[in-house]
Amino acid sequence: MTTEMFILATLDGLSAAALLFMVALGLTLIFGVMGILNVAHGSLYAIGGYVAATLGLAIDKFGLSPALYLPALFLAAILIGPLLGTLLEVGLLRRILGKEHVLQLLVTFAAFMILEDVQRLVWGTQPYFVSNVMNQFGNTDVLGITYTNYQMIVLPVVAAVAYYGLRYFLTKTWLGREVIAMTFHREVATAMGVNAKLVSLLTFVIGAGLGTLGGALASPSTALLPGVGADMIVQSFAVIAIAGLGQLGGAALAACLIGLSRSFAVYLMPELAVLTPYIIMVLVLLVRPEGLFAATSMRRI
Amino acid sequence: MLELKEVSARIAGVPVLRAINAEIARTSTAAIVGRNGAGKTTLLRIIMGFVPFAAKGSVVLDGKDLSRVSPHDRPRLGIGYGPEDRVLFPSFTVEENLRFPCEVIRMPTKAVDRRMDEVLAIVPELAPLLARSAAVLSGGQAKMAVLGRSLMVGTRLVLLDEPFQGLAPVLALQYTEALKRLQGARPDLTILITESNRSLLKDIPSVTWTLERGAMTVAGGGSGPRGSLPEAAPSD
Repeated sequence: MTTEMFILATLDGLSAAALLFMVALGLTLIFGVMGILNVAHGSLYAIGGYVAATLGLAIDKFGLSPALYLPALFLAAILIGPLLGTLLEVGLLRRILGKEHVLQLLVTFAAFMILEDVQRLVWGTQPYFVSNVMNQFGNTDVLGITYTNYQMIVLPVVAAVAYYGLRYFLTKTWLGREVIAMTFHREVATAMGVNAKLVSLLTFVIGAGLGTLGGALASPSTALLPGVGADMIVQSFAVIAIAGLGQLGGAALAACLIGLSRSFAVYLMPELAVLTPYIIMVLVLLVRPEGLFAATSMRRI
Repeated sequence: MLELKEVSARIAGVPVLRAINAEIARTSTAAIVGRNGAGKTTLLRIIMGFVPFAAKGSVVLDGKDLSRVSPHDRPRLGIGYGPEDRVLFPSFTVEENLRFPCEVIRMPTKAVDRRMDEVLAIVPELAPLLARSAAVLSGGQAKMAVLGRSLMVGTRLVLLDEPFQGLAPVLALQYTEALKRLQGARPDLTILITESNRSLLKDIPSVTWTLERGAMTVAGGGSGPRGSLPEAAPSD
C-alpha cells in the first residue's frame, strides 16, 4: 500500500465514520429510551438524503443563490426528520412499546420496506448525485492527495457538534436528564414525574432528526439509489452493537473503527469490504457480548 | 386520607387482588404484611397508576380519584414512591437522584434546597453519600437513598415497597429510626409500607393489615384507631 493510498483510505474512512456516527447516534438514543431497535431508521437516512438532493436540484433550477446549498441540507433534515419521526412514533412505535423484541423488529422492518417503496415511487430507481455543495467547498491538498473540504472538514465538524450538543442536552438540561432517567427505568422515571409519552416522542424526533441529517449530509458525496437505507441501518447497527447500546462516546470510536476498516478494505481487499462491519461486530461480541463500552449498571448486593 | 374501594386486579388473567377495601387516615402509618406473591407490590403499583384495576374499584386520596390522574402527575400531588428494587439512576450522583423528582415537577431551586435539608435531617445517613455516584452504593445505602428520594416530593403520601428486605440488622435499625423521625417531622403524612416480615416493623405502623392471596384482613397489632378497615372488607 502506497502512502497516497493510505492517506486516501484514512480520509475516506473518517468522513464515512462521521456520517455513520450521526445515524448511529439517533438509533442508539431511540433504543435507549424506547427499547426498540428501529429498522426504519435506515429509511429516515435515505429519505433525508433524497429530500436534500431534491432541494439542491431546486436551488439550481430556480437559480437561487449557491449560498443556500449548505443550509438546504440542514433544512431537509429539519423538514423531514420531525415530520416522519412523529408519524412513526405516534402511528407505530408507541403501540409496540414493551412488546416482544421479535415483533418490534418485524414491525419496524415492515415500516422500512414500505418506506423503501415510497422512495422508489417518489424518486424512482435512477441514482441521484447532487454534489454542488461539495464542489462549492473546494479541495485541499493533504500530503500530495487532493481531498474535498466538505468530507474532510464539514462532515466531522457537524458530527462533533451533534455529539457534544446531544451530550450537553442529556447531562445539563432538565429535559435531557429526564431522557436519561427513562433509559434506566421507565416506570420509576414516571413515578418521579417524567411524562414518558412526551419524552419518548421528543427522543424519537431527535433521533429521527439525526438519521435524516446523516442522510442529508451524505447526499453530496454519495450516490442515492434504492438500498442505501438498508446498507446504512446494517452499519449503524454494527456500530451500536460494538459500542454497547446507549454508549454515545463509544459509538464515535466504533464508527471510526467500522468506517476506517471498511475504507481500507476497499483498497486492500475489495471483496471483503461489504463484510467488514459484520466481521468486526462478530469479533467484538465474541470477546465482549455487551459491547466494548458496556453500560454502568447498578450494583445489586 | 387514602381510600381503597373494591380494588381488584388481574395480571395475565390471574386474579392478583380481590376486592381490597381500606382506609388510611392522614397522620397514620399502615403496614401491609404478606408473603412474596401476595400482591403487595401490585397494590402499591395500582396506587401509583402502573397497573390497571377493575373499573368498579377506586383509589381516592383526600377526596381526589387517582384513576383520573396520570401516573406522572402523582409527584405533583405530593405522592412519594420507594420501589421494591431500589432503582436509582446510576449515572446521577446521590444528590442528583434526590433532587430529580423535584426538578421534574419544576420546583424552584430554593424550595428544593429547603426540602433537601429537611430530608437530610430525617435521613442523616445520606449526608456523606450525596456526592457519590448512585452506581456504587451498597444495597442498604441505596435503600436509604430511595427513602430520601421518596420524601423529596412525598408530602401527603409515601409508599415504601419492602424497604427492609435484605437490610442488615444495623441498617434496619437506622431505617426504623429514620421512619420515626419522619413521623415526627411530618405528622400529617400518610405512610404505607409493605413487608413480608412483621417483626421488622416494630412499633412503626399504627395499623397492620395482612394480604394473603390477594385478599386483605386486619392483622391487629396496630396501636391506635387511626387506620381502619371499613365493613366491606372480607373478614374470613
